[in-house]
Order: sequence, then structure tokens, then C-alpha cells
Amino acid sequence: MADPQPWRALGDRAIRFARPPRSARTLVRAVRAWPGVVDVVVARHDVAAYFAAEPRVDPAWIAALDTAPDDPDPGRDVAIPAVYNGPDLASVAQALGRHPDDVCALHAGATYTVETMGFAPGFAYLAGLPPALELPRRTTPRTRVPAGSIAIAGQHSAVYPFESPGGWHLIGTAGVKMFGPDGSLLQLGDRVRFVP
Amino acid sequence: MTLAVVRALGLVTVQDLGRPGRMHEAVPPGGALVADRLIAANRAVRNPDDAPALEILGQLAIRAERPLRVATDTLAPRELPAGGELLVASEPRRVAYLAVRGGLAAPLVLGGRGALLCAGLGGLVRTGQRFDLAGLAEVAAPPPPGPAAAPEAPIRLIGGPDLGSFPPTALELLLSSEYRILPSSDRVGTRLDGPALPRTGAPEVSRPMVLGAIEVPRDGKPIVLGPEHPTTGGYPVVAVVARADLGRLFSIRLGGTVRFTR
Repeated sequence: MADPQPWRALGDRAIRFARPPRSARTLVRAVRAWPGVVDVVVARHDVAAYFAAEPRVDPAWIAALDTAPDDPDPGRDVAIPAVYNGPDLASVAQALGRHPDDVCALHAGATYTVETMGFAPGFAYLAGLPPALELPRRTTPRTRVPAGSIAIAGQHSAVYPFESPGGWHLIGTAGVKMFGPDGSLLQLGDRVRFVP
Repeated sequence: MTLAVVRALGLVTVQDLGRPGRMHEAVPPGGALVADRLIAANRAVRNPDDAPALEILGQLAIRAERPLRVATDTLAPRELPAGGELLVASEPRRVAYLAVRGGLAAPLVLGGRGALLCAGLGGLVRTGQRFDLAGLAEVAAPPPPGPAAAPEAPIRLIGGPDLGSFPPTALELLLSSEYRILPSSDRVGTRLDGPALPRTGAPEVSRPMVLGAIEVPRDGKPIVLGPEHPTTGGYPVVAVVARADLGRLFSIRLGGTVRFTR
């Protein structure tokens, strides 16, 4: 039998539930179609739906996400110009037991997918980091990471759209603005390559 | 130009009711810190509720360069003659709103006209800056506001979703203690000082956040998320402020105290 209430209240204007095994694009599109929903956030393990008033949710809506039609828009291919000059490149190479040139070649050789967005406007969690580049976050986060920094941590890469604090390893600089008056350069589901 | 900023002190921005609909690209809702006060100031000069107005966390002095009709959320509407000046201070509250008949002219960017500092949209209002008016038509007088809760009444909370991250005593401690609004508070978060809330050793997982969520970092000092909050965060949420009480919480001056209730 289905869980009678497969979500938790996130205050009195939002709910949170376990992420169904679907792409973020598909989930955003399907949940935005629910009555009263104004916003959706898809995180790695959770989805939140934000309502204009008190949430009214039918558990069947959540169950139906498992079989929601795929978003017909397959996402775009985005090339990000990259200069591998980050302040952590040497320490990353050392921690991985590789030459810095290998780190750059591995990073630039992969194709990434925007899995989720969060942390800061336009900040995209890029899945697809080669396992050989996986490292835990820095033990001490930086108080200031420059805008445009290309970073890696755990199983993800990312580009910091704005100067902010941050705990990821900085390996390069992107030659493109990640967020501006037209919104975010990267959108959920986009495929991303870094071009040295 | 019709309005000149003689002096801006503190955090002064143009605000409206925000940019809903973009959280999936990590853009928080933004908008006025206390939407009800922005609306009150706008209604006092017959503006639409979402007309751009000035949000003042600090002090703002303006000069009219031609006759203007102005109001704040606490000051009845008045005519300001050409050359007339007006000083608006947020004290004894944390924030005040200054609305001008017709609304401030501000470009529509990503569905909103207010500053969203975390997204690099708009910026702080500075001394010497000048504004045009948007020329918005007068709207019909709105119905009188309903009875407001007493300003000092406890702020209502809803239990948070991260039950496994806290011992049961954490929410009880939050509900039974007095907290002070720290001066480091801003539009991203309102930081509270008081008894540190205990956490279990559950790992931190980046999850969706919401306006009014009370996050608890490792030091146990709660942070209430404001309109420029990150859309995801790794600190567990012990409770969420009831939306109807959020404006009252964000109106408490820095250094003031707050108590919570269920």
C-alpha cells in the first residue's frame, strides 16, 4: 500500500518529498503543472514544491511522477571556455597522485550533465566527473571564491557564478558569465564540456 | 529625474514582490523583506501592491525635484513640494518602506524590478542616486487591513522536516528560549543568538530550502532564511516560520529579542 502521506511539510507554503528516479527537467515540468504550484526545486535526493497558498496535495500526484512523460526538450550542448589556472590545481594533482596536466585533460575530456541547481543563482551541479578526479571538499572552506572559478568536489564539477564562500577545489577559470540579466547560462539537463 | 537620494545609510534597495518561478535555476524568490509593509506603503499612495518602492534597513533622506506624493508603511501620505526633503529611518523597527505615488521606475529583469543582490541584479541605493517615476495609474482604495497580531506576540513555527537530524529536545529548546536578532543579519538570513540547538550526528545533505526555514549550523545558532536565501542548503531545518508571522519576525530591530511558539 502506498504511503498515505509521502511528503513532509516544509512550512505552510511548501512540501518536500523523496526524488523520484526521473530527470530534473521532467520533474520540474511535471510538478509545475500541479494546481497552485509556483516553484520547484530538485535536489540530489529531494524535490520541493512551493505553493502560492497552503499546499493541497494528492498523494497520487507524487506516485504519478514515476511515470510522467519525459520532458520533450532534451537540453542543450554548452561549451565553456576554460583556463586551467586554479589555485588548487597543484594540491589536487598531488592528492590524486597525478600530473596537473593529467587533471586538466581528464576534466576537459568529460561531458557533464546539469543534475541539479542550487547554492547560488545559476550554480549548476555537473554530474559526470571522471572517478579519477573524485576528492572530498576542502577541510577549510574559502571565505571568498572568485566568480567564474571552475571547481570540483565529490562526484561533481561546477562553476561559481558569483564571488562567494566555497569549499570546493578551484582548478580553473571559465571564460563566460554564468548568470546575468537573461538568467542562468546553464539549465537542468544541459550537457556541458570545458574547452581549454 | 524626480527624486534624489540626499543620503543613504545601511542596506537600502528598490524592492517589489520578488521573482517567483525561477527557483529551479537557483534564483531565490527575493522581493521585500516584509512584503506586508511594502504593500501598506504602496496602498497609502494608491499604488498597485507590487509597485517598486524603497526598502530601508537603516536611513534614507530624499529630496523631491518636483512635487511628489509619498508615504511609508507607518507615515500617512503627504505632499512633498519641489525641493522638499524627507528623512525615513527604519528604527525602531528593522525595516521601513518609502513609496512614491506612481511607483519608482526600475527595469523589469527576470520578472522583477527589485534588487536581488545575490544574483547581481540591481544594487544598493547610494547617496546622489536619482530616480524617475513609473507613472503607474492610481488603483482603487483597498479594503482596510485585518486586525494585526500584537508586535510582541510569539512567532508561530511549524516543525521542520529533518527529524533525524535533531534530538527531540532541540525544538523544545527553541520554543522555550529567548533569542536575540544578531546585527550580522541581512536579506539572506536572520541570525539568532541564544541557546545553541543540539544536533544528532546525521550527515549534512544538500536539500531544498524555503523562505522562513530555520537552519541550524554546527554551532547550533539558528538562521532564519530571508528572501535572498540559497535555494538549497546542507544545514538541517529544525522548524519553519509560519508565513503569516514572517513579516513580524523580520520587522524586529537588530539587537531585539524574539520568542517562538507552536
